[in-house]
Amino acid sequence: MKNSPFADLLGALVRQRGVTAAMVVSEADGLIVDAQVSIGMRGEVVAALSASLYRRARLAAQAAGYGETTVLQLEAEQGRICAVGKNDLVLVAVTELGSNIGLVRMEMLKGLQGGALG
Amino acid sequence: MTTVAVTEAWAEAPLRQFVEDARVDLALLLHASGQVLGQAGFERRMDVMTACALAAGINATAAELGRMLDGKPFGALHYAGKSKQTFLALVDTRRGAFLLFCVFDERASLGIVQLYFGEFRHRLSAAAPDAEGPSTPLNEHFEGELNRNLAALFGRT
Repeated sequence: MKNSPFADLLGALVRQRGVTAAMVVSEADGLIVDAQVSIGMRGEVVAALSASLYRRARLAAQAAGYGETTVLQLEAEQGRICAVGKNDLVLVAVTELGSNIGLVRMEMLKGLQGGALG
Repeated sequence: MTTVAVTEAWAEAPLRQFVEDARVDLALLLHASGQVLGQAGFERRMDVMTACALAAGINATAAELGRMLDGKPFGALHYAGKSKQTFLALVDTRRGAFLLFCVFDERASLGIVQLYFGEFRHRLSAAAPDAEGPSTPLNEHFEGELNRNLAALFGRT
């Protein structure tokens, strides 16, 4: 079976220590376009809520006159959710607290700037 | 806050929760026959009647199409318009099968609606009392019951 155009990007993300899910989600629909998700994680739920959160953050930043959102990072008790977006697609990474978030963010931005999201 | 009205009290909390969580503009809960059980956001009974008839018709058509193509009825239908989207899905309960039809805009998304529909289905199933008797999708009292339900929703007889 042919890999999706996002397979390399998602593969690079989930290879990072502590990354439990990486997904490309449609910002408007909140539906998964492609994903690599750990067993047991409710990927569809994370995707829908993350896309909604990212969209609202992006609109809030625009409304405040701060321009485009670069990275959205949500810190929770036991982990983080990071999101970057372009062209109605949102790249979401779910990580454990012990992950190297700097590397994860760098990998996400590299994918974004490299045109992985179009 | 969107107004929610139901003809049977057990359906109110699940419907209200769904409308608040998913941020849909309009929601209808109806029997598969088209008889309304609850609504949120509608202002006129005529709109509810029309939406119920259309939703029941769409469901009947889609269910048959699903049987032809896939051997079983489609679980849910989504239509994306330019600014509004609709979502129609079936919920099985002890009380029988119900349809949830909702309209949403860019404040929500299909993923969000699907997510909260899953929770709604569980809540409605848990809240549903046992069936009163054998299900008769379109019985001889249909029109009278429909009018009574609409009057209950909109406070007019």
